Amino acid sequence: MADSKLIEERALVVSNEQVDKRLYFTVLESPQIAAALCPGQFVHMQIPGMPDKILRRPFSVYATDPGSGTLKILYQVVGSGTEVLSNVVAGAHSSLIGPVGNTWTPPAGARALLVGGGVGAAPLFMLAQQLSEAGSGLCVVLGAQTKDALVAYDDYCALPGVRVVAATDDGSFGHAGFCTQPAQEAMDSGEFDYVAACGPDPLIRIVAGMAADRSLPCQVSLERRMACGVGACLSCVVDTVHGKKRCCVDGPVFEASEVVWQ
Amino acid sequence: MSEVNMSVNLGGLVMKNPVTVASGTFAAGREYNDFFDVSMLGAVTTKGVSLNGWEGNDSPRIAETASGMLNSIGLQNPGVAVLREKDLGWLEGKDVPVIVNVSGHSRQEYVDVIEALEGDDRVDAYEVNISCPNVDEGGMTFGTHVPSVEAVVSSCRAATKRPLIVKLSPNVTDIAEIARAAADAGADALSLINTLLGMAIDARTRRPQLARVVGGLSGPAVKPVALRMVWQVHQAVSVPVLGMGGISTGIDAAEFMLAGATAVAVGTANFVNPRAAADVADGLRAYCIEQGISDVNDLIGALEC
Repeated sequence: MADSKLIEERALVVSNEQVDKRLYFTVLESPQIAAALCPGQFVHMQIPGMPDKILRRPFSVYATDPGSGTLKILYQVVGSGTEVLSNVVAGAHSSLIGPVGNTWTPPAGARALLVGGGVGAAPLFMLAQQLSEAGSGLCVVLGAQTKDALVAYDDYCALPGVRVVAATDDGSFGHAGFCTQPAQEAMDSGEFDYVAACGPDPLIRIVAGMAADRSLPCQVSLERRMACGVGACLSCVVDTVHGKKRCCVDGPVFEASEVVWQ
Repeated sequence: MSEVNMSVNLGGLVMKNPVTVASGTFAAGREYNDFFDVSMLGAVTTKGVSLNGWEGNDSPRIAETASGMLNSIGLQNPGVAVLREKDLGWLEGKDVPVIVNVSGHSRQEYVDVIEALEGDDRVDAYEVNISCPNVDEGGMTFGTHVPSVEAVVSSCRAATKRPLIVKLSPNVTDIAEIARAAADAGADALSLINTLLGMAIDARTRRPQLARVVGGLSGPAVKPVALRMVWQVHQAVSVPVLGMGGISTGIDAAEFMLAGATAVAVGTANFVNPRAAADVADGLRAYCIEQGISDVNDLIGALEC
């Protein structure tokens, strides 16, 4: 359904909740986009209250609730846009473009290993919901700097039939260290035949390399600086073995084997 | 409601309203088709095309700046054959004139691109880009010296009888001198401004924000510079001007026409509001009605100093 129509919709900020030092969950009422959006797709959002910064910001969608017409994003404050967004209060309005981009395409019946580093947990959650319903076996490895930053952990654990492995850089919860080690152990178990990863580029690159070494099909969700978000401006290109592709509409999900890492 | 004549003639290109899009911000329109029908526009201006295609520059290619952005895309395009097959194929049958933006690394390449399109009746006009700041050879280097402006424009002029628009760089000391050179060499119209050369730095990493270090500034931040240059060029030459630089509303468009533009292009605003170009066309008509103007042409150069 990557060919779904793009919608521009005025969205109401329902809530904007701080869940760790620099991490926030925002719920937006955007019924048309919430109803149409598939796992892996994102929204391109105008941040309210930022007149001198004109560009939209892309946000992975963490979950949708078509019943209430809402969608939820998870973001980390990293720059001026997310800084302003973190101060937006319920009742504000914003313009969203969505659903943008392609979707995860796990093989039917895949026994899947999902690896999410930091807010990379966001675009994987709807995929985990989908795979949990399919019921063919799913392990999720989540990494964060601290226990408190594992803000998606409980949601993942609540999914039926899902094993969740946590890793923290400071050892405050789960495996002590980067999530690449539990990811490698899971791959070596031979229990999985599909890998999906999102997070900082260095993490994704390592996971993609480990999957390639074991001949496991692997998809990754990438993030690039973006202007139009609809495929026109060629700002967000990703180097691939097939030339430069647009992260926004040719991605954000790419076959890991196709990406040329910088 | 009173009827307003919105039609303008841009150097032989008849447009049903004065609004087109700035090359490179709109692809060929297909990406915006979910938001509005491109036939609402006075013309579609396609992304710059070269003979055999270019890869463009390394990433990061953009950086946000105050009220605008820098880009250094580098004219990435798949070449004129793909433009004909895909973009002109998509535009075929739509009720909107097509301006093809032509790029080249050499004078001959501009001519070769035009010649590849001369037999294609889906093309209504050319915009010759002698002003891209993001390529090492060609682009802006042709547009900043009078002799090379004359050489490129006269070569393109000899290759076509179609309306020939020449897109000028603001990165010059005297825009009027460049404008006169292009008009004298046979341009039917002049478009300006292309982006202003600029840069952005991350102080913490001590690194430039663009992989190519420098790039082109666009958006509302450049509008005062663009208005000034449109006004100067309108006074310097008799050919019509396609004005652009930070236009995001119908009122912005009216300001450019008062400064001397016959038509206007919407660029960076397309990234902010995917309906921006259609909104500018609607807003310009609303401005005319509000001002009691029955013919949009009455705005051209009507600035009262």
